[in-house]
Order: sequence, then C-alpha cells, then structure tokens
Amino acid sequence: MTTQAIDGTGHDAVSAVVSPERRRLGSLLIRSATLLLALITIGQTLYAYGITSIGFANWMPILVAYVLWSAALCVGLILRDGEAGWRALFVLPAILFTVALVIFPTFFGLFIAFSDWNLQSAGGRSFNGLDNFYQLIADEYFWNALLNMVFYVATVLVQYAIAFGLALLLNADIKAQKFFRVAFLLPFMLSPVAVSWMIGKSMLEFRFGPVTNLLRFFGWENPSLLTTPWLAKSTIALMDAWVWIPFMMILILAGLQALSKEVQEAAKVDGATGWQGFWEITFPLMLPVSVTTVVLRIIFQLKLADIVINTTAGGPGGATDTISSYIFRVYKDRSNVGYGTMIAEVYLILIIIFVALLLKFTSKYMQRDA
Amino acid sequence: MKLELYNMLSRRTVLKGAAAASALAATGTIGMPPVRTAFAASDLRAAILQVPGVGKGEPTDAEWQKVGEMCLGPTKENVKEGEFKGVELSFMGLNNQNVHNVLFRGLSKAWADYTGATINWIDLAQADYNARLQQSIATGTVDFDVIEMGAPFEGDVCGKGLASVMPDWVAKQIDMDDYVGYLKAPVGTWDGKTYRISCDGDCHNFNYRSDVFADAGLAGEWKAAGGAGEWGPPKTWQQVNAYTKFLKGKQLDGQDLYGYLDPCKGWGGFGFYFLGSRATAYAKHPDDKAFLFDPDTMKPRVNNPAWVRAIQDVLDSLPSEPADQLNADPGTTGFQQFLAGTGTMLSWWGDIGSNVNTSDSSVIQGKTAFDILPGSDDVYNSKTGAWDKLASGPNYAPNMAYIGWGIYVMARVDADPVKQKAAWSLAAHLGGKDISLWMAAYPSGFQPYRQSHFDVKEWVGAGYDETFIASYLKSEADSYNHPNAAIEPRIPGIFQYYSEAEDILANIYAGKMKAQEGADAIAAAWEKRTDQLGRETQIKLYKASLGL
Repeated sequence: MTTQAIDGTGHDAVSAVVSPERRRLGSLLIRSATLLLALITIGQTLYAYGITSIGFANWMPILVAYVLWSAALCVGLILRDGEAGWRALFVLPAILFTVALVIFPTFFGLFIAFSDWNLQSAGGRSFNGLDNFYQLIADEYFWNALLNMVFYVATVLVQYAIAFGLALLLNADIKAQKFFRVAFLLPFMLSPVAVSWMIGKSMLEFRFGPVTNLLRFFGWENPSLLTTPWLAKSTIALMDAWVWIPFMMILILAGLQALSKEVQEAAKVDGATGWQGFWEITFPLMLPVSVTTVVLRIIFQLKLADIVINTTAGGPGGATDTISSYIFRVYKDRSNVGYGTMIAEVYLILIIIFVALLLKFTSKYMQRDA
Repeated sequence: MKLELYNMLSRRTVLKGAAAASALAATGTIGMPPVRTAFAASDLRAAILQVPGVGKGEPTDAEWQKVGEMCLGPTKENVKEGEFKGVELSFMGLNNQNVHNVLFRGLSKAWADYTGATINWIDLAQADYNARLQQSIATGTVDFDVIEMGAPFEGDVCGKGLASVMPDWVAKQIDMDDYVGYLKAPVGTWDGKTYRISCDGDCHNFNYRSDVFADAGLAGEWKAAGGAGEWGPPKTWQQVNAYTKFLKGKQLDGQDLYGYLDPCKGWGGFGFYFLGSRATAYAKHPDDKAFLFDPDTMKPRVNNPAWVRAIQDVLDSLPSEPADQLNADPGTTGFQQFLAGTGTMLSWWGDIGSNVNTSDSSVIQGKTAFDILPGSDDVYNSKTGAWDKLASGPNYAPNMAYIGWGIYVMARVDADPVKQKAAWSLAAHLGGKDISLWMAAYPSGFQPYRQSHFDVKEWVGAGYDETFIASYLKSEADSYNHPNAAIEPRIPGIFQYYSEAEDILANIYAGKMKAQEGADAIAAAWEKRTDQLGRETQIKLYKASLGL
C-alpha cells in the first residue's frame, strides 16, 4: 500500500493524498482503454454489417480488448483513487467477470431471440421482431411442455414429504446411522444421465428389466411403464425423485440437527405425543429450512431435461416433455438458434417471475422467530 | 465393415484364414516383412485381407499402419516422395467405437511418411458432429482441410461452395467407376462437379426370421385363417401388414411372436428413415426421381396419400406389436427386440445382419435371412394423383438412408496448389479401391460400397462363411443397384425436417392425431422450415441433388 491515513478520518482522506500526476495517469489509462474498446467494437460492428471494409475475421479481438480494458480499469482505479481503488478491486473483477459471462450473454440472448437464425439457413441471421414470440405463443409443444413442468414442480412437494421422513429417521438414534446417511446420499452422487441409462433404459426395460420382471411376477402382464402418458410421466418423476430426494433430505437433516433438543424434551415433559411434538414443534421450527429446501429444489426441477431426453425423448406423444428437453431438440436437432433462444429467454423470465412470487409468498416462513 | 460382422467369424473360417496366411507367409508377405507395393491387384487384395488374419483379434494400430503401407502404390504413382514436406492438414471426423478417425490415423501414417505432410486430427463424437459442422459453417470458422462427412450434409457444404472440386487424377486413382450405382452421380456432385470420395455405403435392407416363415404349423394356421397366398417371406408391405396382424398372439417354440417392428420414439431425426422405409414403395414412382418433396416447389409430399398410407400402416400395426413399442427407438427395435428374439420382420441398416451371429444378446443365429425392402402392389403417382399398378408387378424402392460416409476436401485449400494436392492425395489414399476392401472386411464402421466388394469368393477366401456373407451381400447389393432406389434428399437442414417430423409422428403414434391430420402438420412444419432455410435455394439444391 502506498498511501496512508493522515487525519484518521477514513479512506476518503487517504485518497486525497494521491498525487495529481498519478490521478492524471490513472484517468488517462482508463479513458484510453475505454476509447480503444469503443473504437474496436464500433469498427467491428460496422464491418460486420458491411458498412466498412476494414475489420477482423471474427469477434475474438473484441474479447481481447475487453480483457485489456478490464485490466486497464483495475490498474487505472488504483492509480487514480489510491486506497479506494484498491478497495474497488475486491469486487470489480467479479463484476467484470459477471458482466462478461452472465449479463452480456443474457442481453445478447435477447438480441438473438428476436432473430430468424437457423444455422443452416442460406440467408443467415436476420432481425424478425416478435415473430419468434408469436410462434412461441402458438407452439403447442411449448405449452404442452410447460404444462408438464407444472406436474413435475408439483411432485417436489411429495419429494419434500419423503425427504422429511427420511431426515427424521436419520436424525433418530438408529443403528448404522452413518452408513444409512451415506447410502441415502448415493443416488444424489450419480449423474442423472447415468440414472437414465441404469434405471430408465435397463431396469425398466420391457423385456428383461428386473423391475418389469418383478411387476410381471406380481401379476402385471404387460408392465410397459413408458408408453402410457400418465404412467410415463410418473415414472420419470419417480426417477427424478430418486436422484434428488437425498439433496432435500440432507438439507432438512442439517436443519433438524441444529434444533434445540430442550424444546422437544420440554414438550415431552408437558405430555406431548410424538405426533404433537412433530407437528406443533419440529415442523414449525423447521419451516425456514423447509421453504429454502423446497424453493431450491423447485429451481433445480425447472431445469429437468437429462432424464427425459435419455429415457423417453419427451414421449409418448410429448407426455414427458420438459421445456429444457424441447429447447434441446430445437437447438441440437434443428439448429434453430433464434427460436430456441426465444424459448429459453421466455422461460427464464417465467422462472424469474415464478421464483420471485414464490419467495415473496414464502418469505414470512423463511425467518425463524426469536 | 462393422465390428460385429468381423467378430462373427467362425473357428472354421479362422483355420482357413490361417492356412491362407501360411501360404502368404511363405512368400514373405506376412510377419511384417519389407512391404511390397508392386503386388498384382489380386495378390494385394488377398494379402491385405490377411492382415492381421481373420479371427486373430481386432486389428490394432500396427495392422492399420501396415495395410496403409501396403496400399500406398496408387499414391506413389501420382506423388513424389517428400512432395508435401512442410504441408499441414487438418482432418475432421468421428471417433465412434474407436474406428473412423482412429483407424484413419494408422492407415495414413505411411502416406504421411512418404509425402512428408503432417496431419492434425479433429475427433468428434457422433452426437457432436452435426452441431460442430453447422457452427463452423454458420460462423465462417471452417478450421479443417479434409472432412469425413455423410452425403446428407452435402447441401450444407458443397451447396455453399465450401468444398473443393475433385481433380481428374483423383477420380482415376480411386477408380470411381467401381462404385455401386447409387453412389455415382448425382451423389457426391453438385452442379455437375464432383466433391466426394465415398468410403461407405448405407441403405435399409429387410431382415426377417427364416424359421418363422419356414414353420409348417404357422403355414397351416395361415391357410386356415384364410391368409392370402402361401406362407413365406413377404415381398410387399401389404403382406408384411397382414403377417403382423396374423402373428399377434401366436407362439413358436414357446416364445410369443410378433410381426413387423416399428420404432415410434424419436432418434435425433434418424427415426424418420424408418417411416421412409415403409413409405418408399408407395411414394417413389419409377417415373419420378422425387418422393419427399416436389422438386419444383419444395412442397412436401409427406402428406400425400402414399405417405399417409405408410403412417396409417404403422397405426394399424401397432396394436399387434409389442406393448412397449411407443417407447421403442430404432436402437430398441434392432438390438433389444429383433436380435433378442422379439419380432419377425425389421428394416434396418446392415448392422443388424452383421450382429445376428455375434451379439451376446442375439438369440436368432441361423434363423435370419435378408432381402431388399418389401414392395407394394401399387404406387402413388404424384403427378397424376392416382395409384398405379405397374405392369412389371409390385413396386420396389429400397431406401438409401443416409448414403454412407465420404471424404471431402474443403475449398480453403484451393488457394495453395501444393496443399490442395496433398489434401486430395490423402483423401484418395483413404478412399482407394484396395484399402476400401480391407475396411469393408474388417472393423472400420464402413459397409461395402463398391462393385468389387461383392465378390463373395474374396470374402470366403478371407475366411467368411459363404452362406451368411452371400445372403448379406446380396441384400445390400440389390438395394444399392436397384433402378428405383429412393435416394435421400441431400439438401441443407434435412435432419431438421426429419426431427420436426419425429415430434409430430410421436403424437400420431400416441393417438393424439389422425394420420392425415398429423401428416398435414408435418407438411406445414416443413413448409415453414423451407421458408426459413430459403425456398429458392432449397429448390435449386434439391434439384441438383436429384440430378434434375
């Protein structure tokens, strides 16, 4: 550190000692880098649209210019603002990183979403206004997938109930407690893709799958689990639950272990039954953890795709399709970048609205009363 | 050839191969002697088929290198030693099942050593191939000089001027006249220019259970049920459909019987080929090269009476097919059903036939035979809108699904004559006549595709069982050489059309739409797709791909 406090009143006083030359140098560095970035970006944009004849073969130099500008900004702030500049460095790289990898792609995604852009189109990309949005409004496959998502999200509540039960079990004084805790976590450690193949395509296989053979043993003549719409959807939900219940269970278990046992013991002394102890004491006290767990799980659930893609490809007749698996087909199989991005952006907005409402509705439950 | 076909070699054929190998060893050919490249053609072909020797395990890099060296003769006739010193080539291809590019590395080592060129390999998994290729094209970042590519992508690459035109000396070196009929122009060509060196051939053939059709009990039941004609392998789709309904509920050797197997689940667009195999006999008229679109307007024909009949056939057959058929993709029908003894009839690529005797899950060894796809008693004439009955009998139209892999050189090498020659020389080496026989006979991922590949004696001499290989090769050859073969439209975005259709077909098969209603929906989606891709361009490229 090259500056020091001279009046003991804080960092603003520290920055005052930065010499004017250094301030000018810092400002010059920032302005120069900004100008360079702006010039290169504008120049390349004009070239890309055929307005000028000088430009780069691709947009990589813009990325390099952004990195250089970011570095210049960091150095320039230190030179210009001294201690305050150093403080800015605690967050500035993260901000610049987020801008480059999250904020810019999101807004650039919007730009693409309003484009007619099929990678195999002879005409290349062209602005088409709201056409993709209108197409989405009339797209039965999108609405079908969205309706399926309502079902999948609703199953989170069932998963939560099971996870709570398992967490209570693992929180009790049972034998081999550590073993069961690890064993119950195993499904969560597996990739959903692996689960799709191991369970969806092997254990549930109609002819030789052990699960279907077991069902035959119990008298189900044709246990075809993935050809009837409601059954296929339920089977997918079951596989998904098998993977994710451990995640919810471990969060709830952590919450249970943080609860004071004195309250439960006091309730017992007062004559509360086991159910009363759970419903009147444990469950209310666990509400903040529960709501957090369910909200997190719903956010994950909204991205459900891998199990569906690998096991049913969205069928039969779209019965198991999800928004993400539909986007996957639009992008990968049809190279329809513009429309695929529109679906993704609209879905993102829907998720933001839904989660915001969810958080608002549940916020009062997420804080534990003192 | 497919890995499984290679692995099917019997102990007896191994011994025969060993005897032949011994004879060759006596001449100094086997056992890594100094390689002679001045073989008489037949000697060379016999010699390479003994590397490493049938039944002696899968070839390794050492064998690939050796075969590449033995087949260097044609290169030496056109290229001087060290002529490409300093030239660097990028080759993009697949790495599926450790063949394709992995194999090409070894096969081209001697070529690189002789010419002085360096090859950089870009390996892709099948699932990543289309996306990688399309992104390279769309973003103008083609970073490869040579590519292993399927003919359906020719519209994307050749149609956009991204490929290099084949020089005359290459055509001569690889003996293009030897290709089977359907791989000759217009396949591999655009606007009369040739771009492709074929290294594979693909078509759907018809696989059926010979034991079912030879069973006297079933024949009696068929007759008693008033079935038309004699009980035997079907020759038309009408027979296939009738047999499928008849076999529901029947048993053979205690096993439930089913007839034809339809894949109903999407398969990244590839599933549409299987509806195509049912439809071509109805939709591909001998007087009309087109069967999927109208070549003058790109108006889809997928909702015409021929295609709708094929869709309706599936709907009518599904109640007689296994209970899980709605969730069966082509991988399921081929490998989990047919090979495992479920189902009597199946359309597939050549892989099924080559798995019958080798796959661990196969229970139908010695019970399978092959033919070209069934025909139809009548064929739809798109020009007149009428169903025609041909004087020659049923209409046959084998489905040339995917048209196989080829090697293409990119136009970016054209600016440098030395690099261009190097790229074409490498492609010609890998697509050479003799080296292709070895690839057809050993695990490589490629099927036979040259007239010279169908000399049964050569295969038998290499150790293959004659009955099996003759039946298998005949079904392939008869499909390839059929005058009314339905050739895949080589237009940009063809898999987008197929993928779109798969989604709607899934709804039809699940009972959410009627056949005509669904076919109309597919046609509407395809019209939008054509508009997005550029109708005029598509028409032009479609016509070019049909040779119109």
